[in-house]
Amino acid sequence: MVSTSSPRQAVVVEDDADIRGLLVLILEQLDFVVTEASDGLSGVEAVRNTNAELVTLDINLPDIDGMEVCRRLREFSDAYVLMLTARADEIDRLNGLDTGADDYISKPFSPKEVQARIRALFRRARTPAAPAEDQRQVDELERAAVVQQSLLPRETVRVEGYDVAGAFRPTRSVGGDFYDWYQTSDGMHLTFADAMGKGMGAALIAATVRAVMRSVADTPAIADAFGSASATITSDLDQSGSFVTMFHARLDSASGKLSYIDAGHGLALYVPADGAAQRLVSAGPPVGILDDQLWPAAELELEPGDSLVIVSDGVLDAHDSLEEFVINVEKVTRNGATSDEVCAALLELAPAATAEDDVTAVVVRRKR
Amino acid sequence: MQMQFSYEVKDTYAEVKSVGRLNMVAAPKLREVVNEVVAGGSNRVVVNLAETNFMDSSGLGALIGCLKAARQAGGDLRIAAVQPQVKMVLELTNMDRVLTAYPSAEEAFGDD
Repeated sequence: MVSTSSPRQAVVVEDDADIRGLLVLILEQLDFVVTEASDGLSGVEAVRNTNAELVTLDINLPDIDGMEVCRRLREFSDAYVLMLTARADEIDRLNGLDTGADDYISKPFSPKEVQARIRALFRRARTPAAPAEDQRQVDELERAAVVQQSLLPRETVRVEGYDVAGAFRPTRSVGGDFYDWYQTSDGMHLTFADAMGKGMGAALIAATVRAVMRSVADTPAIADAFGSASATITSDLDQSGSFVTMFHARLDSASGKLSYIDAGHGLALYVPADGAAQRLVSAGPPVGILDDQLWPAAELELEPGDSLVIVSDGVLDAHDSLEEFVINVEKVTRNGATSDEVCAALLELAPAATAEDDVTAVVVRRKR
Repeated sequence: MQMQFSYEVKDTYAEVKSVGRLNMVAAPKLREVVNEVVAGGSNRVVVNLAETNFMDSSGLGALIGCLKAARQAGGDLRIAAVQPQVKMVLELTNMDRVLTAYPSAEEAFGDD
Protein backbone atom coordinates (compact mmCIF):
# COMPACT_ATOMS: atom_id res chain seq x y z
CA MET A 1 0.00 0.00 0.00
CA VAL A 2 2.70 2.48 0.96
CA SER A 3 4.47 3.43 -2.18
CA THR A 4 7.99 4.73 -1.97
CA SER A 5 8.42 5.56 -5.66
CA SER A 6 5.78 8.30 -5.97
CA PRO A 7 4.53 10.82 -3.42
CA ARG A 8 1.53 9.75 -1.35
CA GLN A 9 -1.70 11.46 -2.33
CA ALA A 10 -4.33 12.66 0.11
CA VAL A 11 -7.68 14.40 -0.30
CA VAL A 12 -9.24 16.74 2.25
CA VAL A 13 -13.03 16.97 1.97
CA GLU A 14 -14.18 19.84 4.18
CA ASP A 15 -16.52 22.77 3.54
CA ASP A 16 -15.04 25.12 6.14
CA ALA A 17 -12.13 26.87 4.41
CA ASP A 18 -10.19 27.47 7.63
CA ILE A 19 -10.37 23.90 8.87
CA ARG A 20 -9.59 22.70 5.34
CA GLY A 21 -6.44 24.83 5.26
CA LEU A 22 -5.36 23.48 8.64
CA LEU A 23 -5.87 19.86 7.56
CA VAL A 24 -3.87 20.48 4.40
CA LEU A 25 -0.97 21.77 6.48
CA ILE A 26 -1.17 18.80 8.85
CA LEU A 27 -1.07 16.33 5.97
CA GLU A 28 1.67 18.16 4.11
CA GLN A 29 3.82 17.84 7.22
CA LEU A 30 3.40 14.08 6.79
CA ASP A 31 4.68 14.44 3.21
CA PHE A 32 1.36 13.94 1.49
CA VAL A 33 0.51 15.72 -1.74
CA VAL A 34 -2.89 17.15 -0.83
CA THR A 35 -5.94 17.89 -2.99
CA GLU A 36 -8.74 19.97 -1.47
CA ALA A 37 -12.48 19.55 -1.99
CA SER A 38 -15.18 21.74 -0.49
CA ASP A 39 -18.10 19.38 -1.09
CA GLY A 40 -18.79 15.66 -1.26
CA LEU A 41 -19.15 15.12 -4.99
CA SER A 42 -15.95 16.95 -5.92
CA GLY A 43 -14.26 15.03 -3.09
CA VAL A 44 -15.24 11.70 -4.68
CA GLU A 45 -13.91 12.93 -8.03
CA ALA A 46 -10.66 14.12 -6.44
CA VAL A 47 -10.06 10.70 -4.90
CA ARG A 48 -10.80 9.06 -8.22
CA ASN A 49 -8.45 11.40 -10.11
CA THR A 50 -5.53 11.29 -7.68
CA ASN A 51 -5.86 7.67 -6.61
CA ALA A 52 -5.42 8.98 -3.08
CA GLU A 53 -4.30 6.74 -0.23
CA LEU A 54 -5.78 8.90 2.50
CA VAL A 55 -9.02 10.90 2.76
CA THR A 56 -10.13 13.15 5.58
CA LEU A 57 -13.85 13.55 5.44
CA ASP A 58 -16.19 15.95 7.21
CA ILE A 59 -19.58 14.44 8.03
CA ASN A 60 -21.56 17.59 7.34
CA LEU A 61 -21.08 18.72 3.78
CA PRO A 62 -23.20 21.04 1.63
CA ASP A 63 -24.27 18.41 -0.95
CA ILE A 64 -24.03 14.75 0.06
CA ASP A 65 -22.99 13.84 3.59
CA GLY A 66 -19.77 12.20 4.65
CA MET A 67 -21.42 8.79 5.04
CA GLU A 68 -22.61 8.89 1.42
CA VAL A 69 -19.19 10.09 0.21
CA CYS A 70 -17.60 7.14 1.99
CA ARG A 71 -20.07 4.68 0.48
CA ARG A 72 -19.25 5.98 -3.02
CA LEU A 73 -15.51 5.93 -2.37
CA ARG A 74 -15.68 2.29 -1.36
CA GLU A 75 -16.95 1.41 -4.84
CA PHE A 76 -13.50 2.08 -6.30
CA SER A 77 -11.04 3.08 -3.58
CA ASP A 78 -9.40 1.40 -0.61
CA ALA A 79 -7.95 4.66 0.68
CA TYR A 80 -7.79 5.16 4.43
CA VAL A 81 -10.74 7.32 5.41
CA LEU A 82 -10.55 9.46 8.53
CA MET A 83 -13.94 10.91 9.31
CA LEU A 84 -14.32 14.19 11.16
CA THR A 85 -17.36 15.12 13.19
CA ALA A 86 -18.27 18.24 15.13
CA ARG A 87 -19.86 16.17 17.90
CA ALA A 88 -17.72 14.00 20.14
CA ASP A 89 -20.79 12.06 21.29
CA GLU A 90 -21.48 11.03 17.68
CA ILE A 91 -18.37 8.89 17.48
CA ASP A 92 -19.86 6.00 19.47
CA ARG A 93 -22.85 5.94 17.16
CA LEU A 94 -20.66 6.09 14.06
CA ASN A 95 -18.52 3.25 15.36
CA GLY A 96 -21.63 1.13 15.44
CA LEU A 97 -22.45 1.85 11.80
CA ASP A 98 -20.77 0.25 8.86
CA THR A 99 -19.77 3.53 7.25
CA GLY A 100 -16.61 2.24 5.59
CA ALA A 101 -14.46 4.79 7.44
CA ASP A 102 -11.24 3.60 9.10
CA ASP A 103 -11.23 5.99 12.05
CA TYR A 104 -13.12 8.94 13.55
CA ILE A 105 -11.97 12.12 15.14
CA SER A 106 -13.98 14.96 16.66
CA LYS A 107 -13.59 18.68 16.17
CA PRO A 108 -11.90 20.61 17.57
CA PHE A 109 -8.89 18.41 17.05
CA SER A 110 -5.23 18.86 17.81
CA PRO A 111 -2.88 18.59 14.81
CA LYS A 112 -0.66 16.19 16.75
CA GLU A 113 -3.57 13.87 17.41
CA VAL A 114 -4.59 13.83 13.75
CA GLN A 115 -1.04 13.02 12.70
CA ALA A 116 -0.78 10.25 15.28
CA ARG A 117 -4.03 8.71 14.09
CA ILE A 118 -2.89 8.79 10.47
CA ARG A 119 0.43 7.17 11.30
CA ALA A 120 -1.47 4.48 13.17
CA LEU A 121 -3.75 3.91 10.19
CA PHE A 122 -0.81 3.36 7.88
CA ARG A 123 0.79 0.93 10.30
CA ARG A 124 -2.35 -1.17 10.28
CA ALA A 125 -2.42 -3.90 7.66
CA ARG A 126 -4.96 -3.45 4.91
CA THR A 127 -7.73 -5.95 4.57
CA PRO A 128 -6.49 -8.51 2.08
CA ALA A 129 -9.62 -8.55 -0.12
CA ALA A 130 -8.92 -5.52 -2.29
CA PRO A 131 -5.21 -6.14 -2.90
CA ALA A 132 -5.96 -9.78 -3.75
CA GLU A 133 -8.42 -8.61 -6.39
CA ASP A 134 -5.84 -6.18 -7.78
CA GLN A 135 -3.30 -8.97 -7.84
CA ARG A 136 -5.68 -11.22 -9.70
CA GLN A 137 -6.13 -8.57 -12.38
CA VAL A 138 -2.41 -7.99 -12.62
CA ASP A 139 -1.85 -11.74 -12.95
CA GLU A 140 -4.41 -11.99 -15.71
CA LEU A 141 -2.87 -9.06 -17.60
CA GLU A 142 0.56 -10.64 -17.27
CA ARG A 143 -0.77 -13.91 -18.64
CA ALA A 144 -2.51 -12.05 -21.50
CA ALA A 145 0.75 -10.27 -22.29
CA VAL A 146 2.54 -13.63 -22.43
CA VAL A 147 -0.10 -14.98 -24.85
CA GLN A 148 0.17 -11.88 -27.02
CA GLN A 149 3.97 -12.01 -27.06
CA SER A 150 3.91 -15.69 -27.98
CA LEU A 151 1.96 -14.93 -31.15
CA LEU A 152 4.76 -12.93 -32.73
CA PRO A 153 7.08 -14.77 -35.09
CA ARG A 154 10.16 -16.00 -33.27
CA GLU A 155 12.34 -16.12 -36.33
CA THR A 156 13.10 -13.45 -38.82
CA VAL A 157 11.93 -14.42 -42.25
CA ARG A 158 14.66 -14.76 -44.89
CA VAL A 159 13.39 -14.16 -48.36
CA GLU A 160 16.09 -13.74 -50.99
CA GLY A 161 16.20 -10.15 -52.20
CA TYR A 162 13.95 -8.71 -49.44
CA ASP A 163 14.45 -7.03 -46.09
CA VAL A 164 11.56 -7.92 -43.77
CA ALA A 165 11.11 -6.64 -40.21
CA GLY A 166 8.40 -6.22 -37.59
CA ALA A 167 8.15 -4.37 -34.28
CA PHE A 168 5.61 -4.40 -31.51
CA ARG A 169 5.13 -2.31 -28.38
CA PRO A 170 2.38 -3.50 -26.05
CA THR A 171 0.37 -1.32 -23.71
CA ARG A 172 -0.06 -2.23 -20.09
CA SER A 173 -3.68 -3.15 -20.74
CA VAL A 174 -2.73 -5.66 -23.51
CA GLY A 175 -4.51 -5.19 -26.81
CA GLY A 176 -5.18 -7.54 -29.69
CA ASP A 177 -2.43 -6.58 -32.15
CA PHE A 178 -0.18 -9.20 -33.69
CA TYR A 179 1.64 -10.02 -36.88
CA ASP A 180 2.76 -13.32 -38.27
CA TRP A 181 4.83 -14.44 -41.23
CA TYR A 182 6.38 -17.59 -42.64
CA GLN A 183 8.40 -18.58 -45.63
CA THR A 184 6.86 -20.51 -48.49
CA SER A 185 8.46 -22.25 -51.47
CA ASP A 186 8.06 -19.14 -53.63
CA GLY A 187 8.24 -16.33 -51.08
CA MET A 188 6.31 -15.59 -47.91
CA HIS A 189 2.88 -15.15 -46.35
CA LEU A 190 2.16 -12.29 -43.98
CA THR A 191 -0.75 -11.61 -41.62
CA PHE A 192 -1.24 -8.39 -39.69
CA ALA A 193 -4.26 -8.24 -37.40
CA ASP A 194 -5.87 -6.26 -34.60
CA ALA A 195 -8.54 -7.98 -32.52
CA MET A 196 -10.89 -5.50 -30.92
CA GLY A 197 -10.74 -5.37 -27.15
CA LYS A 198 -8.20 -5.63 -24.37
CA GLY A 199 -6.71 -8.16 -22.02
CA MET A 200 -7.02 -11.91 -22.16
CA GLY A 201 -10.13 -11.81 -24.37
CA ALA A 202 -8.33 -9.94 -27.16
CA ALA A 203 -5.18 -12.05 -26.77
CA LEU A 204 -7.14 -15.29 -27.12
CA ILE A 205 -8.98 -14.04 -30.21
CA ALA A 206 -5.64 -13.02 -31.71
CA ALA A 207 -4.29 -16.52 -31.00
CA THR A 208 -7.27 -18.09 -32.78
CA VAL A 209 -6.89 -15.80 -35.78
CA ARG A 210 -3.21 -16.63 -36.09
CA ALA A 211 -3.83 -20.38 -35.97
CA VAL A 212 -6.72 -20.25 -38.45
CA MET A 213 -4.74 -18.13 -40.90
CA ARG A 214 -1.84 -20.57 -40.73
CA SER A 215 -4.21 -23.47 -41.39
CA VAL A 216 -5.12 -22.11 -44.84
CA ALA A 217 -1.51 -21.58 -45.96
CA ASP A 218 -1.75 -24.38 -48.53
CA THR A 219 -4.97 -23.18 -50.16
CA PRO A 220 -3.77 -22.04 -53.60
CA ALA A 221 -5.78 -18.83 -54.17
CA ILE A 222 -5.48 -16.10 -51.55
CA ALA A 223 -9.16 -15.10 -51.82
CA ASP A 224 -10.26 -18.72 -51.21
CA ALA A 225 -7.84 -19.08 -48.32
CA PHE A 226 -9.01 -15.84 -46.73
CA GLY A 227 -12.68 -16.61 -47.35
CA SER A 228 -12.49 -19.97 -45.62
CA ALA A 229 -10.40 -18.64 -42.73
CA SER A 230 -12.68 -15.67 -42.16
CA ALA A 231 -15.78 -17.88 -42.08
CA THR A 232 -14.19 -19.92 -39.29
CA ILE A 233 -13.09 -16.82 -37.41
CA THR A 234 -16.53 -15.21 -37.78
CA SER A 235 -18.31 -18.19 -36.27
CA ASP A 236 -15.85 -18.14 -33.35
CA LEU A 237 -16.28 -14.40 -32.84
CA ASP A 238 -20.05 -14.59 -32.80
CA GLN A 239 -19.87 -15.63 -29.15
CA SER A 240 -17.75 -12.69 -28.08
CA GLY A 241 -19.26 -9.82 -30.07
CA SER A 242 -15.76 -8.88 -31.15
CA PHE A 243 -14.16 -8.36 -34.56
CA VAL A 244 -10.73 -8.36 -36.15
CA THR A 245 -9.22 -5.99 -38.69
CA MET A 246 -6.76 -7.83 -40.92
CA PHE A 247 -4.25 -7.39 -43.67
CA HIS A 248 -3.11 -10.62 -45.29
CA ALA A 249 -0.59 -10.84 -48.12
CA ARG A 250 1.30 -13.39 -50.17
CA LEU A 251 4.56 -12.46 -51.84
CA ASP A 252 6.06 -14.12 -54.88
CA SER A 253 9.66 -13.15 -54.33
CA ALA A 254 11.03 -13.73 -57.84
CA SER A 255 8.52 -11.46 -59.57
CA GLY A 256 7.82 -9.11 -56.67
CA LYS A 257 4.11 -9.77 -57.11
CA LEU A 258 2.21 -9.17 -53.88
CA SER A 259 -1.42 -10.35 -53.57
CA TYR A 260 -3.24 -8.95 -50.60
CA ILE A 261 -6.60 -8.65 -48.87
CA ASP A 262 -7.46 -5.85 -46.52
CA ALA A 263 -10.41 -6.51 -44.21
CA GLY A 264 -11.20 -3.24 -42.47
CA HIS A 265 -7.61 -2.51 -41.58
CA GLY A 266 -6.87 0.28 -44.06
CA LEU A 267 -3.43 1.09 -42.66
CA ALA A 268 -1.14 -0.59 -45.20
CA LEU A 269 0.93 1.68 -47.44
CA TYR A 270 2.78 1.03 -50.64
CA VAL A 271 5.86 3.28 -50.73
CA PRO A 272 7.48 3.01 -54.17
CA ALA A 273 11.13 3.94 -54.67
CA ASP A 274 9.94 6.52 -57.17
CA GLY A 275 6.57 8.17 -56.87
CA ALA A 276 4.10 9.00 -54.13
CA ALA A 277 3.06 6.63 -51.35
CA GLN A 278 -0.36 5.05 -51.68
CA ARG A 279 -2.56 3.80 -48.91
CA LEU A 280 -4.00 0.42 -49.85
CA VAL A 281 -7.75 0.81 -49.61
CA SER A 282 -9.70 -1.72 -47.62
CA ALA A 283 -11.73 -4.23 -49.64
CA GLY A 284 -14.40 -4.80 -47.02
CA PRO A 285 -15.32 -4.54 -43.34
CA PRO A 286 -13.39 -6.28 -40.55
CA VAL A 287 -13.78 -10.04 -40.05
CA GLY A 288 -16.50 -11.06 -37.61
CA ILE A 289 -19.15 -8.46 -38.35
CA LEU A 290 -21.20 -9.92 -41.16
CA ASP A 291 -21.75 -13.52 -42.20
CA ASP A 292 -21.11 -14.48 -45.82
CA GLN A 293 -18.82 -11.54 -46.42
CA LEU A 294 -16.34 -11.82 -49.29
CA TRP A 295 -13.16 -9.81 -49.65
CA PRO A 296 -11.70 -9.46 -53.14
CA ALA A 297 -7.93 -9.75 -53.44
CA ALA A 298 -5.79 -7.03 -55.01
CA GLU A 299 -2.26 -7.04 -56.35
CA LEU A 300 0.73 -4.81 -56.59
CA GLU A 301 4.28 -5.26 -57.76
CA LEU A 302 7.23 -4.56 -55.51
CA GLU A 303 10.08 -3.23 -57.65
CA PRO A 304 13.60 -2.98 -56.24
CA GLY A 305 13.62 -0.22 -53.61
CA ASP A 306 9.83 -0.36 -53.04
CA SER A 307 8.38 -0.94 -49.57
CA LEU A 308 5.17 -2.28 -48.13
CA VAL A 309 4.44 -0.80 -44.69
CA ILE A 310 1.67 -1.91 -42.35
CA VAL A 311 0.96 -0.28 -38.99
CA SER A 312 -1.72 -0.60 -36.31
CA ASP A 313 -4.26 2.09 -35.45
CA GLY A 314 -2.14 3.13 -32.47
CA VAL A 315 0.06 4.96 -35.00
CA LEU A 316 -2.91 6.56 -36.75
CA ASP A 317 -4.40 7.73 -33.43
CA ALA A 318 -1.27 9.80 -32.79
CA HIS A 319 -2.04 11.91 -35.87
CA ASP A 320 -4.63 14.60 -36.48
CA SER A 321 -5.57 13.47 -39.95
CA LEU A 322 -5.12 10.60 -42.35
CA GLU A 323 -3.14 12.87 -44.70
CA GLU A 324 -0.65 13.77 -41.97
CA PHE A 325 -0.38 10.07 -41.06
CA VAL A 326 0.42 9.06 -44.65
CA ILE A 327 3.00 11.86 -45.00
CA ASN A 328 4.79 10.84 -41.79
CA VAL A 329 4.78 7.12 -42.57
CA GLU A 330 6.16 7.81 -46.03
CA LYS A 331 8.86 10.07 -44.60
CA VAL A 332 10.17 7.57 -42.03
CA THR A 333 9.99 4.76 -44.59
CA ARG A 334 12.21 6.68 -47.00
CA ASN A 335 14.62 7.78 -44.26
CA GLY A 336 15.30 4.34 -42.78
CA ALA A 337 18.28 2.44 -44.19
CA THR A 338 16.89 -0.95 -43.14
CA SER A 339 13.41 -2.33 -42.44
CA ASP A 340 14.37 -2.62 -38.75
CA GLU A 341 15.21 1.08 -38.64
CA VAL A 342 11.94 1.95 -40.34
CA CYS A 343 9.96 -0.16 -37.85
CA ALA A 344 11.63 1.57 -34.90
CA ALA A 345 10.86 4.99 -36.39
CA LEU A 346 7.23 4.01 -37.07
CA LEU A 347 6.79 3.09 -33.40
CA GLU A 348 8.24 6.47 -32.47
CA LEU A 349 5.42 8.17 -34.42
CA ALA A 350 3.16 7.09 -31.53
CA PRO A 351 5.17 8.10 -28.43
CA ALA A 352 4.88 5.54 -25.64
CA ALA A 353 3.99 8.22 -23.10
CA THR A 354 0.72 9.12 -24.83
CA ALA A 355 -0.26 6.00 -26.78
CA GLU A 356 -3.46 4.37 -25.47
CA ASP A 357 -3.16 1.34 -27.69
CA ASP A 358 -0.61 -1.27 -28.76
CA VAL A 359 1.62 -0.09 -31.57
CA THR A 360 2.74 -2.54 -34.25
CA ALA A 361 4.59 -2.14 -37.53
CA VAL A 362 5.76 -4.46 -40.30
CA VAL A 363 7.96 -3.46 -43.24
CA VAL A 364 8.71 -5.51 -46.37
CA ARG A 365 11.28 -3.83 -48.61
CA ARG A 366 12.60 -5.20 -51.87
CA LYS A 367 16.33 -4.67 -51.95
CA ARG A 368 17.82 -2.60 -54.73
CA MET B 1 -12.98 14.98 -20.55
CA GLN B 2 -15.18 12.38 -18.92
CA MET B 3 -17.26 10.46 -21.46
CA GLN B 4 -20.96 10.75 -20.95
CA PHE B 5 -24.05 9.23 -22.46
CA SER B 6 -27.66 10.22 -22.10
CA TYR B 7 -30.73 9.07 -23.94
CA GLU B 8 -34.21 10.22 -24.79
CA VAL B 9 -37.02 8.02 -26.07
CA LYS B 10 -38.93 9.77 -28.89
CA ASP B 11 -42.00 8.79 -30.91
CA THR B 12 -40.36 6.54 -33.49
CA TYR B 13 -36.84 6.08 -32.16
CA ALA B 14 -34.58 6.54 -29.15
CA GLU B 15 -31.71 9.02 -29.33
CA VAL B 16 -28.47 8.29 -27.45
CA LYS B 17 -26.19 11.31 -27.12
CA SER B 18 -22.48 10.67 -26.88
CA VAL B 19 -20.24 13.40 -25.49
CA GLY B 20 -16.44 13.14 -25.46
CA ARG B 21 -13.92 10.55 -26.65
CA LEU B 22 -15.35 7.18 -27.58
CA ASN B 23 -12.43 4.99 -26.50
CA MET B 24 -11.65 1.93 -24.42
CA VAL B 25 -12.90 3.62 -21.24
CA ALA B 26 -16.18 4.87 -22.72
CA ALA B 27 -17.00 1.87 -24.93
CA PRO B 28 -18.49 -0.38 -22.21
CA LYS B 29 -20.64 2.52 -20.98
CA LEU B 30 -22.10 3.08 -24.44
CA ARG B 31 -22.99 -0.61 -24.63
CA GLU B 32 -24.63 -0.42 -21.23
CA VAL B 33 -26.75 2.58 -22.20
CA VAL B 34 -27.83 1.14 -25.56
CA ASN B 35 -28.64 -2.22 -23.98
CA GLU B 36 -30.78 -0.40 -21.45
CA VAL B 37 -32.57 1.46 -24.25
CA VAL B 38 -33.17 -1.73 -26.25
CA ALA B 39 -34.25 -3.64 -23.15
CA GLY B 40 -36.68 -0.81 -22.46
CA GLY B 41 -38.48 -1.55 -25.74
CA SER B 42 -36.89 0.88 -28.21
CA ASN B 43 -35.22 -1.11 -30.97
CA ARG B 44 -34.71 1.85 -33.33
CA VAL B 45 -31.70 3.66 -31.92
CA VAL B 46 -29.82 6.72 -33.16
CA VAL B 47 -26.43 7.45 -31.65
CA ASN B 48 -25.86 11.18 -31.94
CA LEU B 49 -22.11 11.73 -32.35
CA ALA B 50 -22.18 15.52 -32.76
CA GLU B 51 -20.02 15.95 -29.65
CA THR B 52 -17.68 13.02 -30.16
CA ASN B 53 -14.50 14.10 -31.88
CA PHE B 54 -12.50 10.92 -31.37
CA MET B 55 -13.24 7.23 -31.68
CA ASP B 56 -10.78 4.30 -31.55
CA SER B 57 -11.26 0.63 -32.37
CA SER B 58 -12.83 -0.07 -28.97
CA GLY B 59 -15.39 2.64 -29.67
CA LEU B 60 -16.07 1.17 -33.09
CA GLY B 61 -16.45 -2.22 -31.44
CA ALA B 62 -19.04 -0.80 -29.06
CA LEU B 63 -21.04 0.71 -31.93
CA ILE B 64 -21.00 -2.64 -33.71
CA GLY B 65 -22.03 -4.49 -30.57
CA CYS B 66 -24.89 -2.02 -30.18
CA LEU B 67 -25.88 -2.45 -33.84
CA LYS B 68 -26.04 -6.20 -33.32
CA ALA B 69 -28.14 -5.77 -30.18
CA ALA B 70 -30.62 -3.48 -31.94
CA ARG B 71 -30.91 -5.80 -34.96
CA GLN B 72 -31.34 -8.81 -32.70
CA ALA B 73 -34.33 -7.00 -31.19
CA GLY B 74 -35.80 -6.54 -34.67
CA GLY B 75 -34.71 -2.94 -35.03
CA ASP B 76 -31.68 -1.02 -36.26
CA LEU B 77 -28.98 1.33 -35.03
CA ARG B 78 -27.95 4.38 -37.00
CA ILE B 79 -25.48 7.13 -36.33
CA ALA B 80 -25.89 10.86 -36.79
CA ALA B 81 -23.80 14.05 -36.97
CA VAL B 82 -20.53 12.16 -37.47
CA GLN B 83 -17.40 14.30 -36.94
CA PRO B 84 -14.31 14.11 -39.20
CA GLN B 85 -12.08 11.76 -37.17
CA VAL B 86 -14.95 9.35 -36.53
CA LYS B 87 -15.86 9.48 -40.23
CA MET B 88 -12.25 8.65 -41.08
CA VAL B 89 -12.23 5.58 -38.81
CA LEU B 90 -15.52 4.39 -40.34
CA GLU B 91 -14.17 4.80 -43.87
CA LEU B 92 -10.81 3.19 -43.11
CA THR B 93 -12.44 0.10 -41.72
CA ASN B 94 -15.09 0.07 -44.44
CA MET B 95 -17.70 0.25 -41.72
CA ASP B 96 -19.41 3.22 -43.35
CA ARG B 97 -21.22 0.62 -45.48
CA VAL B 98 -22.54 -1.18 -42.40
CA LEU B 99 -23.19 1.72 -40.03
CA THR B 100 -25.26 4.24 -41.92
CA ALA B 101 -24.51 7.87 -41.06
CA TYR B 102 -27.15 10.61 -41.21
CA PRO B 103 -26.72 14.37 -40.94
CA SER B 104 -28.94 14.60 -37.86
CA ALA B 105 -30.73 12.35 -35.37
CA GLU B 106 -34.12 13.50 -36.73
CA GLU B 107 -33.25 12.34 -40.24
CA ALA B 108 -31.86 8.94 -39.23
CA PHE B 109 -35.24 7.20 -39.24
CA GLY B 110 -36.95 9.87 -41.31
CA ASP B 111 -37.42 7.66 -44.36
CA ASP B 112 -39.25 4.81 -42.66
